[in-house]
Order: sequence, then C-alpha cells, then structure tokens
Amino acid sequence: MKDQVGGNHKRARFEALCRSLRPDLLRFAFWLSRDRALAEDVVQETMLRAWKAQDSLLDEAAAKPWFLTIIRREFARTFERKRFVTVDVDELVAREEPMLAAAEEQNLAELRAALFKLPDEYREPLVLQVLMGLSTAEIARELGLSGAAVLTRLFRARKQLRALCGEDTSLDPES
Amino acid sequence: MIDCTRYRQAMLAQPHDADPTLLEHRASCPECTLFTERLLRFESGLERALRVAVADAVVPLRPKAPRPVVGFRKAWAMAAGLAVAVVVAGGLWLGVPRASLAADVVTHMQEEPQAWRRTDVPVPSAALQNVLRDAHMHLAAETGVVSYANSCGFRGHQVPHLVIQTESGPVTVMVLVHEHALKPVQFDEQGYRGVIVPVAGHGSLAVLTRGPATDFGTIEHIAHRVLDSIVWTEDSSAARL
Repeated sequence: MKDQVGGNHKRARFEALCRSLRPDLLRFAFWLSRDRALAEDVVQETMLRAWKAQDSLLDEAAAKPWFLTIIRREFARTFERKRFVTVDVDELVAREEPMLAAAEEQNLAELRAALFKLPDEYREPLVLQVLMGLSTAEIARELGLSGAAVLTRLFRARKQLRALCGEDTSLDPES
Repeated sequence: MIDCTRYRQAMLAQPHDADPTLLEHRASCPECTLFTERLLRFESGLERALRVAVADAVVPLRPKAPRPVVGFRKAWAMAAGLAVAVVVAGGLWLGVPRASLAADVVTHMQEEPQAWRRTDVPVPSAALQNVLRDAHMHLAAETGVVSYANSCGFRGHQVPHLVIQTESGPVTVMVLVHEHALKPVQFDEQGYRGVIVPVAGHGSLAVLTRGPATDFGTIEHIAHRVLDSIVWTEDSSAARL
C-alpha cells in the first residue's frame, strides 16, 4: 500500500515535470530537426526513455539539461536508423509553412524562415541559449565543445542570421 | 578597456551579457550604444520567433502502433501508457483554456523562460514604449530596470508582459486590463509564486517571482510599487477594440 502511494506520488511528480518542460522540449526538437512530425516522435520517445531512467535524475532543477541530452541522443539514434537525403531548405520551409507563418508579424515569419537556413552547428547553440536559457558553460557541456568554441558559433549564428534577415549590419564586426 | 570590435563580438555572442567592462565601454561609445539597441531589438524578435506555437506542434496526435506487452516488458508498457497520458494531458493542457486566471498566467510564464534573466541590461527604450503605448500606459522611471518587454497574446488579447529587476531578483508583471479581479489572489503553482491584484477601472495586475525565495508580502509590496508607477494615458478599455 505504502509502495503504491509512493509510486503514485513519483508518477505524479514525473508527469508534472514533463508537462512543465514539454512545450520547450518540443520547440527545441522542432528547431533541431526542422520537422514537426519528427520533433513530436522524438519528444515522445524522450519521455519514455526519461521515465525509464528517472532514477538517474537526482535533482529536478537539472531536469532541463537532462531531457535535452536525451533528446539529442534520440535524434542521433534516429539519424543512425534513417538515411536522410540532402535537404532543400526552401522545400523544408514550404513544408513547415503553417507553423513558421503562424506569426502575427511578417518579420517573425521571415526570421523563422532564416533560422531554417542557418547551418545546424550554429542553429543548435543559438536555440539552446535563446530558447532554453542555457549558459555558455551549459551549452559547451551539452555539445561537447569548449566555451570559446560556443561563443564563436553564437557570434557567427547571429551574424549570419542578421544578414539573412536583411538587418542593418553596417556596425557588425568582421569574424 | 576593450575596443568596439571586441565589444560587438562579445555582444553578438551573448547580447544580455552584463560584464562590467562591456557596460563601461557601451556607456562611453555612442556607436556601440546604437549597435546594442539594434541588436537587442533583433534579439527580442528572435526570442519570439523561436517560440513557435506548441499547441500546433502537439495536435493532432498520431497514435502509434500498440506495443506487445509480455512479462519483462511490463515496465516498458507502463511507461508507454504513461507517456501517452502525458502527451494527451499535455495537449489538453495546452489547448484548452484554463478556468483559473492564475493557472493561465503560470502557463504563459512557462512559455517564456528566457525572460527571467537576472541582468542590468534594460530593454531598448523604443521597444518598451511600443509595448506600453499599445496598452495605453507608461511607467514612471523609478520602477526599476525593465529587462524584458513584450506584447503577448493572452486569453484573446495582447497584454504587456514585463520583467522588472528588483532587489528580490527578476519579477514578471502582466498588465491584464481585460481580466477583472474582485479581490487580491495569491498563488503558488509549478514553481511560480505570485499575486493578482485588482486595478480600479483597469482590470488587474499579475506579479510573479520564480521559486519559493520571495514571500507573498514582498511580492504584494512590489505589485503596489508597480501599480503606483503606472500612468494610464487613456481609458484602457479602448485596448479591447
């Protein structure tokens, strides 16, 4: 009986954790894959794996990076299983248009399309920083890079993105 | 003292970096101040662009083929069931309006975690003024550093969502001119603690902190301080149109 109460409590806590993190995890997965359906599948698999491995999460405050790591591994597995053909970014943008264009402002839709065009190596740290709120050190840990390498990628990401969006970059420094 | 190139490189990597050497350079360089204003405006757009509509991403759910349930796989089946329940509950939770105003405010907070940064960098003045102008209000200067300002969709209306840096850390303020509260409400949900206070003739004001560190008395004090600093430029009911 006691075990059952404990199990219910554990499940309730885990569900609450998933509920609170799920919106951002889906967004992260979407920007990582640029594919809504794939993002949904990966997050769903991530939740399953997280449930099985929940004992390894010692501190709920560290749940976000813990889930991010599982998502990234799940993506790696997906890419191992499937052999993706080279993608045409314009095609990707057109396919996800309902989601990308669901912005009240035209410039947001343009910005989203530009994010699609950003190379993965720049888009991922940018999403981790801006959307997920990770520090440079946390991004470095997640991506297995040095802090300096992360900063360089973030610098290049914004520089490219601003240029793609037709921003005034006259004051931007050279690389 | 760093030069303009180093300053701009650093800012492009971390636009909300509040390193004293960066702040010192910015204060002494009008071109870098202009660069920063442009960059933070762009950053505000970037933050909003990345927050794609999650409800759209979740619904419709595509059921997966049932997994075989045998002996040692029982735990796996339970996990699958739980995950589906979480997905369904998550979808419903995201897609259906909640009865409680406090719950809706908390849900909105969870969609904008990047707004909670502790920083000394104020949001560009023009961006703040745009948000406040849309709500027919402005803020007295002594409110504190407003580090985030966005006009957010909330229960069918655009409302100002501000983050003010206070002695208790970043505090989120939502000006809810369309939500009438009869009396002050305290809430403590999903890691957010806050109050919703009625504003005579202008709906209500929600003020939240993250985590349990700040007591309700302090949050109410901050709420009243913010209220005192709001100047309504015209009848905010015009904002309903």
